[in-house]
Amino acid sequence: MTLIRLIGGRVLISLLTLLIVSALIFWILEVLPGDVASRILGRDATPETLALLRAQLHLEDPALTRYLRWLGGMATGDFGTALTSSRPIVTILEPRIFNTVLLAGYAFLLYLPLALIPALIQAVRRDRPADHALSAVTLVLLSMPDFLIATLLLVTFVVAVPLLPAISLVDQSSTALEYFRAMTLPAVTLAIVMAVYAVRMLRDNLIEVLGSDYVRMAELKGLSRRKVLLRHALPNALVPTLNVTALNLAYLIGGVVVVEKVFSYPGFGSLLVDSLQLRDLPLIEATVLIAAAVYIAANLLADIGAILLNPRLRAA
Amino acid sequence: MTLSAAPRLVRAPLPSWRRLIRRSPLSLRIGAVILALHAMLAVLGPWLAPYGISQMGTGIPLSGMSWAHPFGVDQLGRDIFSRVIHGSHIVLLLSLTGTGLGVIIGSVIGLLSGYVGGWIDNIVQRLLEAIISIPFLVLALLAIAAAGPQLAGSPTLVILVVALVYAPRVARMARAAAIEIATRDFVTVARLRGERAWSVMRREILPNASSVLLVEFALRAGYAPVLIGSLGFLGFGMRPPTPEWGLMMAENRALIIITPITVIGPGLALASLVVGLNLFTDGLARLIGRTAPRNPA
Repeated sequence: MTLIRLIGGRVLISLLTLLIVSALIFWILEVLPGDVASRILGRDATPETLALLRAQLHLEDPALTRYLRWLGGMATGDFGTALTSSRPIVTILEPRIFNTVLLAGYAFLLYLPLALIPALIQAVRRDRPADHALSAVTLVLLSMPDFLIATLLLVTFVVAVPLLPAISLVDQSSTALEYFRAMTLPAVTLAIVMAVYAVRMLRDNLIEVLGSDYVRMAELKGLSRRKVLLRHALPNALVPTLNVTALNLAYLIGGVVVVEKVFSYPGFGSLLVDSLQLRDLPLIEATVLIAAAVYIAANLLADIGAILLNPRLRAA
Repeated sequence: MTLSAAPRLVRAPLPSWRRLIRRSPLSLRIGAVILALHAMLAVLGPWLAPYGISQMGTGIPLSGMSWAHPFGVDQLGRDIFSRVIHGSHIVLLLSLTGTGLGVIIGSVIGLLSGYVGGWIDNIVQRLLEAIISIPFLVLALLAIAAAGPQLAGSPTLVILVVALVYAPRVARMARAAAIEIATRDFVTVARLRGERAWSVMRREILPNASSVLLVEFALRAGYAPVLIGSLGFLGFGMRPPTPEWGLMMAENRALIIITPITVIGPGLALASLVVGLNLFTDGLARLIGRTAPRNPA
């Protein structure tokens, strides 16, 4: 009972947060002082184009009416029409989101070994040269902006050793192999950035777990080192890392913005940048709200995961 | 509730500077050296740089690494190494003022809200939570879009955006610290003396939260150059010909096949600054006895 109440509470808070975010986005973009239409069109706006845009955005209506209409649309899946291309936003979003989900999935598959293997080596070889060397590498990688890591990969695998394409353009007609080649560098970049955040925490957790009584018990029972490490220590060390993984998912939403732009990968992130560059208001609102919704959902899942994995709460 | 001072309230005598340095972790010292080099570069840059900030015809355009041009020459014939040095103080100033402003605003909001509590705290919490749920780079880009074309590319906007991104995150930490400190006896004493909330916050809570806020400042400052660089790289930060490192990487990106060093050079400058800041923060956190959180999100 407590369990359901706890999870229900988290879900409600997340929905409330999403509602506040939607109001914030709308307020920042449409209600802040200054004329929205002239902000979109910039200096070269004529009175006619301004009037046209105002009518198109229904700017004569009161802000609250416009917000509720927009919110209702978002909730029912009607995201409106893009200003620049006059296409329904849903049809613009669909292929972009598909591409980014594919890229994120690929990056996550690479992220797991990239985080686990160095952490396991560091924990087992604690305070030995291997541990220090990996710590140093992690620190340097941690200090590199994602666009620098992406650039270094690009220079290595496109310029020095021409294995992969510099520009990751794909569309519906691309074959699976083309997709794979296009996604590899962006996915590796994202995976490295995510793994670097997780490695140190995973290492510390593993060292703590390896020193605990039940691990010593397993060792005394005569289990092999590998079995102790992988079957007994690792699962328990992973639980606190869940939070980092949720944060990483959150990073991923911002990370795809930069990384997709570096490789010209036509995903959700580059759509977000494009919509901002074009000042396409309805498209900006839709993409930013989706980005925030994914972030909130990731945190909610991490919270629920932590609740379910906590034996004290599970028993109640 | 007894008003006698619990043992944990007794402050250790402040160690002298020499003792502090001797006790400091290695990472703090290495970080301090790297930061000192960057600070020197920022101050003396204009005299140290071999060429001017936008001086053209310094060498063969699009030439790569050489002794005369360690980071190559761009298509306008500008020496990239000199531009990186000239950009040093811009990156440092933007990062430090932006972070400082964010930490100040965040601390005031967080400490007050945590100490006052009640429904005000609840509302502030929900609002901060909502702002934090917008991924920070997306929030930064959104704010820049909302500011409109008039402000775009100005240093003020970049500083305000960094502050906007950091303030809610700092406020969350400051609030947690304030709630913890507010339960201690000396705060109760101050309140019983009849001090107002603002005065309690300034005189009792702020001094005790200062170590948390200091680490928070160092941590955020370590990521600020990356945030500013990301904005520049995406074309939403500083405008050309400002030698901001992220923007320079974007400017030379089209030449990456011919002269990769013109892109990597500014990136290495950025990474070395952030390595220094991260090492320093790490050591500082260990010295103060807190573990630094690692993820800027």
